[in-house]
Amino acid sequence: MGEVIVITSGKGGVGKTTTAANIGTGLALEGKSVVLLDADIGLRNLDVVMGLENRIVYDLVDVVEGICRMKQALIKDKRYTNLYLMPAAQTKDKNAVNPEQMLKLTKDLAEEFDYVLVDCPAGIEQGFKNAIAGANRSIVVTTPEVSAVRDADRIVGLLEAHGLRNPQLIINRVKIDMVRRGDMMNIDDMVDILAIDLLGVIPDDEYIVISTNRGEPAISDSKSLAGQAYKNIVKRILGENVPFMNLDPEEGFMAKLAKAFGFRRK
Amino acid sequence: MKDNAIVFKGTKEGLYIVLKEEMDFEDILQQLEEKIKPSKKFFEGAKITNLKGKRLTPKEFEELVGVLENQYDMEYLGDYESLYSYVNGVKEEDKNRLNQVQITNQNNGQEEKAFFVKGTVRSGQLIKSDGNIIILGDVNPGAYLEAVGSIMVMGNMRGIAHSGTQGDYNTFIAAFRLEPMQLRIGDIITRSPDGKKYKSEVPEMAVVRRGMIIVEPIWGRNS
Repeated sequence: MGEVIVITSGKGGVGKTTTAANIGTGLALEGKSVVLLDADIGLRNLDVVMGLENRIVYDLVDVVEGICRMKQALIKDKRYTNLYLMPAAQTKDKNAVNPEQMLKLTKDLAEEFDYVLVDCPAGIEQGFKNAIAGANRSIVVTTPEVSAVRDADRIVGLLEAHGLRNPQLIINRVKIDMVRRGDMMNIDDMVDILAIDLLGVIPDDEYIVISTNRGEPAISDSKSLAGQAYKNIVKRILGENVPFMNLDPEEGFMAKLAKAFGFRRK
Repeated sequence: MKDNAIVFKGTKEGLYIVLKEEMDFEDILQQLEEKIKPSKKFFEGAKITNLKGKRLTPKEFEELVGVLENQYDMEYLGDYESLYSYVNGVKEEDKNRLNQVQITNQNNGQEEKAFFVKGTVRSGQLIKSDGNIIILGDVNPGAYLEAVGSIMVMGNMRGIAHSGTQGDYNTFIAAFRLEPMQLRIGDIITRSPDGKKYKSEVPEMAVVRRGMIIVEPIWGRNS
């Protein structure tokens, strides 16, 4: 039985889909079998970010409705062995499936794969309920903005109410120089408010935009700082104890961070 | 003991007076004057909604109301009949509001029940109790606490807290770090000042003084 990990945030545009694509690719690079499940029915993006949009024949809704077999809707990523995508339907909406159906689907997928990564839509409505239905682990993505942290807090509450204890936190799009100047929310403060374990901090990186538009996850590029941060996150998901990387050699900012958070990680 | 022969209590509708059971009527009257006289201005025009505690005879009742209305310009709402149409302290038609009456009656009592919550109360979560609320953890921005009684947060209180939801101004909101979005006691609402984010240094509590919510250290000068 594999693990079902839901990647969620509450607020839109904080990088759920990018995170799902990178972590999925990273896990595949580490030799695990992975399926990326796009739960954002009607506003699918994961296929675009992965560069697989023109191969979609069947989708998640087709599987749930029994129009095709599960295997038929799985798109194999040719670049990485053992990486598959199950796309969302684009012409339907979130009410096309219900949590029971999603629970069964994720369960079926978890029997075939080591990891099922569910890319959750923004919001807390039907789509969110569908996405978390079958999850046994959760990752909350946020950015260093008050609104994103507020929504993340709400989401953590809902996840806990749903029985998903101990969600893990990824802080995305951190601008190192802004934090240094004190113009950006302090990472320490965010972890303090959300009171959950920090899984990783992703620096703001122009390369993400380029790689997203090209359909090549940043994690596959060794020059990308964000890609490096995702690599570390993947290792932490696999249970390795990776220190937080030093993103700013001059100031040693991340080193200080790692020290500050060292005791938080269990 | 003698000091507490009468106690004024505030509710949404006005004041009510609690008369100590074992006191003589003469003592009660004397204490009433002692209490009101120094702050006559404060009590002027005040509305008394109810008398509780010691049961008065019609004559005593009239004398008491007479003193309040004639000497101190206070107003007594209701009459002797309505006052004692209560059964065991609960008015017949108020039976469905039993809890409310019980709780206001034993306001300072230790028997009042408390609702304990362990962990972080997060945005969008609402904790409600018809007694007190005690949070063993933080209350985050966007979280709501609503208690008929008082509220104690053993951590950071950054959300919205409402104590005395049924109009009891004698309730309080306390926290190790009181940095709320908004505080409400009874029907009084207050919020943190605009501008620079307020950082709480010591445990504080919010109480009602002269119709306003004020925040003071829990272990302060006048406690």
